Amino acid sequence: MNCYEIREQIYSYMDGELTLWRMRAVSIHLSECPPCASGMEFKVVLRASVAQRSAEALPSELQGRILALIAAERSGAE
Amino acid sequence: MAPRHAASGPEPLGVGPGAKSQHECPRVAVTSRAVANQEDFEVLAMQYAGEIYAHALRLTSDKADAEDLVQETFLKGYRGFAGFESGSNLRAWLYRIATNSYINGYRAKKRRPETRDIDSMGEWALHQRIGGLEKAASDVTPESIVMESITDAAVKAALDALPDDFKQPVLLADVDGFSYREIAEILDIPIGTVMSRLSRGRKRLEVALFSLAVERGLVEPNPEPESVSV
Ligand SMILES: [Zn+2]
Repeated sequence: MNCYEIREQIYSYMDGELTLWRMRAVSIHLSECPPCASGMEFKVVLRASVAQRSAEALPSELQGRILALIAAERSGAE
Repeated sequence: MAPRHAASGPEPLGVGPGAKSQHECPRVAVTSRAVANQEDFEVLAMQYAGEIYAHALRLTSDKADAEDLVQETFLKGYRGFAGFESGSNLRAWLYRIATNSYINGYRAKKRRPETRDIDSMGEWALHQRIGGLEKAASDVTPESIVMESITDAAVKAALDALPDDFKQPVLLADVDGFSYREIAEILDIPIGTVMSRLSRGRKRLEVALFSLAVERGLVEPNPEPESVSV
């Protein structure tokens, strides 16, 4: 695999969505090619950053409202 | 997988619950035929309420709408839970109900038109403006310093700049950790479409954030990364 092919497949690699032998081929390339390894590091950091900054806590009163809604549905259905 | 239709909401997905980690192989479907007990719904489903709320907030971009969407999701989930097969992926099933409810309800009344033509890539101003930088985005170092220098607001703005069709697969994969197949079922699109939208959405995000870093002088654009070859 050359660098172009690696870059096309790097996210699939990170997602664990490649076949086993392709996972290995990418892994071997990354261990031998600093630019591609660096490219993946950028994507890993980017993804972690997006995930971290997309976290939202459930408003506590919303949890209560959901449970009340289900309780009402349950008693209404009986 | 034999679909078993619930009273409302989509059919369950035949994959074990929980997000996959980065290098984990996709989960194998293990579906027992036992039907879920409706009495267990709160205990089983409420553990995902926080995630569903975050998902709803990203879909609607509005706290009140997100709360309504979450309540609708759990009510539909409760009603449909009698037909839910235990052992299926409850988490993905709830995401699917939320996404469908959003598409059928909230998206229709949204101010901002969300379904831009996803093939008219050239219209994306930022993408055009920075042109060839996307290649360089793969080669910047040190990456962590760059990302730390970019504010939460910038990341959110870059995400919001993505059309819904790109944003949803990216968030489901990168934030919620769903497999391509799960995303295909949640969004009800072919897996090939998931892959192409993911790829394009992620590329846009990279370009947007990398260009921001360049604008702020955090990194130098690196024009010829492809010259390093094996
Ligand atoms: Zn390489």
